[in-house]
Amino acid sequence: MDKLISDLKSQIVTQLNLQDIKPEDIGDDQPLFVEGLGLDSIDALELIVLLQQQYKIKLSNADEGPKVFRTVRTMAEYITAHQAQNS
Amino acid sequence: MYIRATGNISPQKTFGHPLMNEAPVAYTGNRLSCIEPDYKEFIDPKLIRRMSRIIRMGVAAAMECLKEADVKMPDAIVTGTSYGCLEDTYAFLSKMVEFNEELLTPTAFIQSTHNTIGAQIGLMLQCNNYNNAFVHRGFSFESALLDGMLLLKEKEASHVLVGAIDEIIPTSHTILNRLGLYKQGDVSSLDIYRAGTKGTIAGEGSSFFMLANEASSSDYARLDGMHTFYKPAGAVDIEKQVSSFLEKQGIATGDLDLIITGKNGDQKSDRIYDQPGQSVFAGIPILNYKHLCGEYPTASAFAFWLAANIIKQGKIPAMLQTSGILKPIKRVLVYNHYLNMHHSLFLLSAC
Repeated sequence: MDKLISDLKSQIVTQLNLQDIKPEDIGDDQPLFVEGLGLDSIDALELIVLLQQQYKIKLSNADEGPKVFRTVRTMAEYITAHQAQNS
Repeated sequence: MYIRATGNISPQKTFGHPLMNEAPVAYTGNRLSCIEPDYKEFIDPKLIRRMSRIIRMGVAAAMECLKEADVKMPDAIVTGTSYGCLEDTYAFLSKMVEFNEELLTPTAFIQSTHNTIGAQIGLMLQCNNYNNAFVHRGFSFESALLDGMLLLKEKEASHVLVGAIDEIIPTSHTILNRLGLYKQGDVSSLDIYRAGTKGTIAGEGSSFFMLANEASSSDYARLDGMHTFYKPAGAVDIEKQVSSFLEKQGIATGDLDLIITGKNGDQKSDRIYDQPGQSVFAGIPILNYKHLCGEYPTASAFAFWLAANIIKQGKIPAMLQTSGILKPIKRVLVYNHYLNMHHSLFLLSAC
């Protein structure tokens, strides 16, 4: 899980072109949207693409979005659960 | 109408306080890239991360122009671009191919449209006024300028921000190079007119202007008129177009202090300028500018910026490396063509 969280942080910084933010600056449980990293709806789209590109996961139910993308940890948990289901 | 303020990013040191009295920056090879400022001074870092290079260049030049004009809310924002946001277009098209047309990169896709820069300026200013973008190859800047002039003339606006932006990216440079548009070998940008070879040098730039319908004490110049003509039949036709334009403006060629032509070092292209140079322009000092900015579809906007600055200073800046023109410069004609299809004339005068 720690490795996945670390990878996700690097991928988020790259995909969203977050300037002046290093992967290690992002807390595992820090909210990604609004009050946390301050991401917005376009970033949400980028994160959906990131999941699809890097982990071959299609987020088919839009209602899941807020829960899945709440923090880096919730993203990692979702990926882990999805990979376990498909293995 | 009057040119109240300008903002320019080019392969020369033209941003902020233009270093026009320094020697020009010389480039070797067939590609000139813009000298860019530190954008964090002009654009919120949260917005910068989503902006590709051309959007940053456009927004920064526009902000500089607005600042100089001391106009917080223009009545209209009009932009012209031929290639648009190439970097973003390339990014999302590449991803489409890479992922078998199943995935887009949302930001690159959203930002790839030709009106992105005008829209970004509008968003940053929270300006809901008229906002339009023109994409007409070598007439893109001219079309934007014409729209701005009409808005002022019809009194629908008193301040119009007009700009032109084009970028070159590695992929577009490679493609255009393969089409034979550019010179081969290590030619210095300062020697292109003497090279006597085929092809030109690639360029890019972002030029913005605040046009106003009332004069002020800080104007650069007065914009007397503009004329465009497409695919002229030959030298005689070009001479007729020039003469007719000047006649409409009520002046004779002898009233001109300077002509700026768009020679770009390509033998075939430059010959187009030679005939009027020997006839209708005879006896008037002629200067070229594309050794400074390279060739691109909206390069005429750089010439427009240069003409405005020359008139403001009243003399030829050292950047143009010329001597012997001692007469004060009060009236300048710009004549440019792009690929001998899109020909344009701008007439600027001292206020």
